[in-house]
Amino acid sequence: MANILNWIIFIPLIGAAVVLIAPAKQAKSIAWLTTFLVFIISCLTFGPFLDGSYQAGDYGTMQFESKLPWIQVGGTAAADGSRVGGFNINWHVGLDGLSFPLMILTTLITWLSAWASWNFEHWNVNKGPKGFFALFLILETGVLGTFAALDFFLFYIFWEVMLLPMYFLIGVWGGPRKEYAAIKFFIYTLAGSVLMLIALLAMYFASADAMGGKGTFNLIEYATIPAITEMFNSPTLTFLGWNFGKAMFVMLFIGFMIKVPLFPFHTWLPDAHVEAPTPISMILAGVLLKLGAYGFLRVCYPLFPEAGAQLAWLVATLGVINIIYGAFCCLAQTDFKRLVAYSSISHMGYVVLGCAIMTDVGFQGAMFQMLAHGISSPMCFFLVGVIYDRAHHRDLNRFGGLWLAMPKYGSMATLGFFASLGLPALCGFIGEIWVLLGTFNAPFAWAKTAAVISAFGVVLTAGYILWMIQRVYLGKLREEYAHYPDATARETAILFPMAVLAIFLGILPKYTFNLMNGTIDDMMVFLNPIVTKAVAASSIVMGG
Amino acid sequence: MPTGLLILADMWMPSADDLAAIGPLWGFVGTLVAILVAALAVGRNWRVTGMLAALGAAVTGWMALRTVMSPPTNWAGLSPNNSPMFVADQFSAFFVLLVSVFMLLVIGMWWMGQNAGLPERLSRKGDSVEFFILLIGSAFGMSMMVSTTNLLMIVLAVEMASLPSYAITAFRKQHAKAAEAGLKYVLFGAVTSAIMIYGASLLYGHYHTLDLAEIGRTIRIEGAPTLLMGVSLFAFMVGVAFKVSAVPFHFWCPDVFEGAAIEVTTWLSVASKAAGLGLMLRIISVLTFKIASPETLNTLATAIAVMAALTCTVGNLSAFRQTNMKRLLAFSSIAHAGYMLMAVAIVWMNNGSPTEGVAHPAFSAIVGYISVYLVMNLGAFLVVAMVYWATGSESIDAMNGLMRRSPLLAVMMVVFLFSLVGLPPMGGFMAKLYLLYALWDATWYSLVIVAVFNTLISLYYYARVARAMVFSDDGQPAIRVPMVGQALATVCALVVLYTGTVGAGTLKAFSDDRAKDLYAVVKPGIAVHTAAESARPDSVNENGTLWNGQNSTTVPNNDGWHIGLAARKVDSDRNKNGE
Repeated sequence: MANILNWIIFIPLIGAAVVLIAPAKQAKSIAWLTTFLVFIISCLTFGPFLDGSYQAGDYGTMQFESKLPWIQVGGTAAADGSRVGGFNINWHVGLDGLSFPLMILTTLITWLSAWASWNFEHWNVNKGPKGFFALFLILETGVLGTFAALDFFLFYIFWEVMLLPMYFLIGVWGGPRKEYAAIKFFIYTLAGSVLMLIALLAMYFASADAMGGKGTFNLIEYATIPAITEMFNSPTLTFLGWNFGKAMFVMLFIGFMIKVPLFPFHTWLPDAHVEAPTPISMILAGVLLKLGAYGFLRVCYPLFPEAGAQLAWLVATLGVINIIYGAFCCLAQTDFKRLVAYSSISHMGYVVLGCAIMTDVGFQGAMFQMLAHGISSPMCFFLVGVIYDRAHHRDLNRFGGLWLAMPKYGSMATLGFFASLGLPALCGFIGEIWVLLGTFNAPFAWAKTAAVISAFGVVLTAGYILWMIQRVYLGKLREEYAHYPDATARETAILFPMAVLAIFLGILPKYTFNLMNGTIDDMMVFLNPIVTKAVAASSIVMGG
Repeated sequence: MPTGLLILADMWMPSADDLAAIGPLWGFVGTLVAILVAALAVGRNWRVTGMLAALGAAVTGWMALRTVMSPPTNWAGLSPNNSPMFVADQFSAFFVLLVSVFMLLVIGMWWMGQNAGLPERLSRKGDSVEFFILLIGSAFGMSMMVSTTNLLMIVLAVEMASLPSYAITAFRKQHAKAAEAGLKYVLFGAVTSAIMIYGASLLYGHYHTLDLAEIGRTIRIEGAPTLLMGVSLFAFMVGVAFKVSAVPFHFWCPDVFEGAAIEVTTWLSVASKAAGLGLMLRIISVLTFKIASPETLNTLATAIAVMAALTCTVGNLSAFRQTNMKRLLAFSSIAHAGYMLMAVAIVWMNNGSPTEGVAHPAFSAIVGYISVYLVMNLGAFLVVAMVYWATGSESIDAMNGLMRRSPLLAVMMVVFLFSLVGLPPMGGFMAKLYLLYALWDATWYSLVIVAVFNTLISLYYYARVARAMVFSDDGQPAIRVPMVGQALATVCALVVLYTGTVGAGTLKAFSDDRAKDLYAVVKPGIAVHTAAESARPDSVNENGTLWNGQNSTTVPNNDGWHIGLAARKVDSDRNKNGE
């Protein structure tokens, strides 16, 4: 446990226990302190990532790695303690360019949302803050653990650990249709997990076959040990009559795409967002959606690159549908929060498109878009929350001229929504343009079409955001909103870090790219040849 | 022939060693006697009776634990003709341990119920002597069920377990539902045991033996399955399927669970099903013992797999609309029996070459699952019972707002419920994972898929209970619950969390140990095979006899350690051949 990463994962859990023991009045301060502490400690891990020195030239080089045997039973023991024909499950965590930026994002957004939940009206009613903050902190452990896990089994455990807290957070402290939203979220996500569980078993047994009975759940070994990669991507190995790699890729992909969420499994998201309390929406949009896309990058593509290249057209199509469909849905919304929720769907479409094309620019764009969206969407949800606290409704058409009543809040809001819109010099722009450029240059035959259609999404985005700003913040100030107090010190303090980051990422994207480029470059070493091969194969088919 | 076995073969009288082999079961017998004597000596005092029963369960459990903790040493079949009438290996010792520990917990529950201030009509303190005689009698029967591979013994054990169960189900005499439940149970039970005995008689008539292993060997020699074999085996298995409450023999389960007192429901939900599953494992593993490729038994495998899939699907789907907590948990127990039945479908894996010290995957999966199931199911019933004692209602509405009315109970219940779903980091997930792993290893992919999707379905109704407790608060007053009950629920929840996280490996290692060296055994002193046997021509064995040359010749068991069943077969065969 001397490892700093282990502490980062478990401090929230300790905080949860403290919240449960301490008096209810102290709960919110303890949660604030815990999340802040985790944020500060996680910032200590910046070291190797800042200057790019963490890049070692081969995929799977980890920083702050910790590996301890956990479940090693069954079968017979090999010389190194691992089991042949039994279980080899390790506590194995570490950080690289994929997980590190998302971990920092998680600790930051969780801290801000802990702060954002300070003024809950529920605290005055009968729903105590103890349970809320305890669940909140358990959720943080789950998320951080999922990002850090390098053992697929551990990944799965943490992935599931997130479910229960989220279910109760939405179900107890949510809006009028909270129970429906909570169970919908639960069932959708569990459906994905179930597929992941099947894939988990299948991959374990395949790796055992490849390694002479010594199965492994190690995600890095899955991607780097030649015997295993050959087995996983073998054209002859089948699973229930399907090509093994493709079947696994599809099952894992469905598991992750539900979390992203990707059309047609996206319908839980608007419900969950609308019913969830503001801080939970912030976490959901800012962090939880990223887990799905992180799953693509950590599990799907490095492990099953052949299947990924062959199914790129399908993934890209889904991404493009998300972009366009999400944006159109936004245009139709009258509920402020639902609009922001659908905009998340649209924005996550870019991430998926970036993943689909499997090039370095695509992956960089996807990662950057995740971070940008991880900053802008919690900001938007918080902005909606601020106004909901005052107005107690979210009907876009009943607002107007809020900027006049609340100048400080109005400027922050404009910044936040412009960041989401993808205005140049703000964070959203870089991610989108990177993905679009990457797609345009991708080797696939359909890539240019996809890029052109997706670029149209930018126009739609501008459309719904500007229209929304016009309806809510501009125009004549309505009588009933004139007396609204401007953003309080706490609200400003929560918005401020996100606003600063939105600008910083937009103006100096280089520093953010530096955090992740090393690992992406390492991945490209083995992904590029496969993509080239797949493209060549498909062009032969098309030419012939 | 070795002297030790010769003596055994020729004498009907069991030796002291044999009696020692039954070991822990003496605990139950002694408790029965003690309770009767105490009733004569001090009269009908429920406290004394309860104490004695608890003490008896504890002593039995301790004796079983000693057997479990020490390697198998010294058993021999109690029989005139060498067929293993009574099996004492790690698995059966585990079952006695399970049953006695569970009985101890159920007695604790009963005790709390007596103190909960229910009307006499419901608690029936005065009849505690009869109650415990019946309870312990059924425990004895259940322990016997997993300790035998002889048709007659099986029938006896099943009846021994069933008859007291009928009576304790109807024990709340003035309670209309209890009487109805008891009647349904006994009618259903009578019909299924009639079919079972019919099946047993057919088997005996056809194969001229009561020994399942012998029957299995003949099946192997016969090659293709005959209609008679199919019919008689099926009829025989009906009685066992009834105990397990496998679909379509599950109809008694919800009614009985609803009508019986909650302690009795708890008892039946785990112990009775566990015993049925253990028996099923025994029957099939012995029938297929040493058969590497059981083509003739493929039908049986498929039948059990289909039954397992149906059982868990029907159980889960039927639970959806239940509003009585006991009925809901009854259907949940049917579903869980279905998951465990899946492991029965792979029981012949590794049967072809059982190796010393290697765990049998199906037995191991079931031991792991049932150990966790015991704890989480007991916990869930305990919470329901405590709510019932406080409110007098078993409806799901009685759970409303439990998070406010008794936060500790509600949190524990959430742990139990989602462990029943099979969600990490609870023990229910690890148990299910080990089961799925075994299924996958046996290439039963379809069963894995059925199991995981059932997990998904089951989420809905378990979450419904969680929803009632946490989301729907209709302002019922806070409840007072006994401290002991809270402590017990907390311990159960901690065990569930422990087996799901740090203790996951321990769980697997524990269940693997219980599944090793099945039927084995034999103390080092007795040489079970001789040079003459090793020199037997292999041609004798090629026709699918239960043993093969390899087992008696190449396995280095100079110290006399041997697969007991196989050894026994050698002897009985020699008897037949007139050697």
